[in-house]
Amino acid sequence: MTDAASNLLPATNEDTCGPYFPIYFADPALEDLTRFDPGVVGAAAGTAIILRGRVLDRHGELANGAVLEFWQANANGIYRTPATEGHEGIDPWFHGYGRMRIASGAYEFRTILPGAAPGRAPNVTITIFSDGINRIVTQVFFDGQAGNDSDPVLQAVGDDAPKLIARHDGRTASGAEVYVFDIVMAGPGETPFFDDLES
Amino acid sequence: MANQGRILGIGPTDNTSDQRTPRQRLRLIPEVARESFVPVVPARYAANPHEWDMTRTAPDRPRAAGVPIEVTGRVRTASGRAVAGALLEVWSANHFGRYRHIEDHSGLQLDENHLGLGRVLTDDAGRYRFWAISPGAYLARPDIGRWRPKHIHMSISGGSSRLITQMYFPGEPNNETDPMAILMGDAFERNLGIPRDAGDVDVEEAYDFDIVVGGRNATFFE
Ligand SMILES: [Fe+3]
Repeated sequence: MTDAASNLLPATNEDTCGPYFPIYFADPALEDLTRFDPGVVGAAAGTAIILRGRVLDRHGELANGAVLEFWQANANGIYRTPATEGHEGIDPWFHGYGRMRIASGAYEFRTILPGAAPGRAPNVTITIFSDGINRIVTQVFFDGQAGNDSDPVLQAVGDDAPKLIARHDGRTASGAEVYVFDIVMAGPGETPFFDDLES
Repeated sequence: MANQGRILGIGPTDNTSDQRTPRQRLRLIPEVARESFVPVVPARYAANPHEWDMTRTAPDRPRAAGVPIEVTGRVRTASGRAVAGALLEVWSANHFGRYRHIEDHSGLQLDENHLGLGRVLTDDAGRYRFWAISPGAYLARPDIGRWRPKHIHMSISGGSSRLITQMYFPGEPNNETDPMAILMGDAFERNLGIPRDAGDVDVEEAYDFDIVVGGRNATFFE
């Protein structure tokens, strides 16, 4: 069965992950991208950061049990994809994909500050799965970065741009820069989300 | 290509959907930023060798209560290309409708022989196979008597393929009232396992469930 208009197979429907995404599937190596793997010599190049915040529902309550996924460029602004295989700017100790299930609805993701890809300000794509919804997607930017003023995604959301910029909140004793970014899934102060199926 | 993003539907009778579904129309992604929205998930060999058999907690343990089933299928992109080496993470309730998850407070019966957790990888042709216990339906909204129909949760990741979905069972009485199934409309059919003969393997029922990862996900495969 194919879609006559496009000759494509119809996609399996996305569905909610429900409230019980298994904690059993957690992978510590995907929750801290600054080190390659626990106990292995090898660390990502760049400025260590902690991106933390809350995922909130329409009533301002924490969205417990959500699954967050992160995707970003390395410190040189290069995404690790089949298209950049062999690129001199690839960091062998950084793949750029993170995932965690957040039991309480608050998250803390350790990574490096992404470099600016051509024409872009540094950003991290965040995908949110949770009970009650399918996948929703946004991008977070970093306060004070050159390029925020001219980034096409920030420009596309107009007056809502400040809702996509993480606030700098000091530095940990170990030297990681802390950024705070709350995701409001619905209602007042709703975070802008993007349609990656229709655009 | 549409020139407006979608407005997401809210699953009827689903309180969590009401609390968590964005109300604003989704924003369109500027063309120059399109690729930055497509994650590439590194291949991970997270599956343990015995996890394809979810009908027992370990190879030397007894079978869990209920009907053992086999589920097989192919994972492909919308253009028909096999997704090889993808990780399928599978989770489901036991025969009594209970998840062995620390946050499942339903009080339904646990089964000492059932974990309901498994991971398998697709082969070079994108094929996968696992065994599971046919899951029980469970009462999701006791206040209005609304059940969740039998279903198996699956998460598929690998390369730029990323999908979280559920396989449902044909002819189940609660399929029509499920809020997420209602949002799928006629396309719900794609999420039904197709019964087939189990052959001579040690299960009572078998289902084919082919998975197509669509839309945005094709970017780095074409
Ligand atoms: Fe479920």
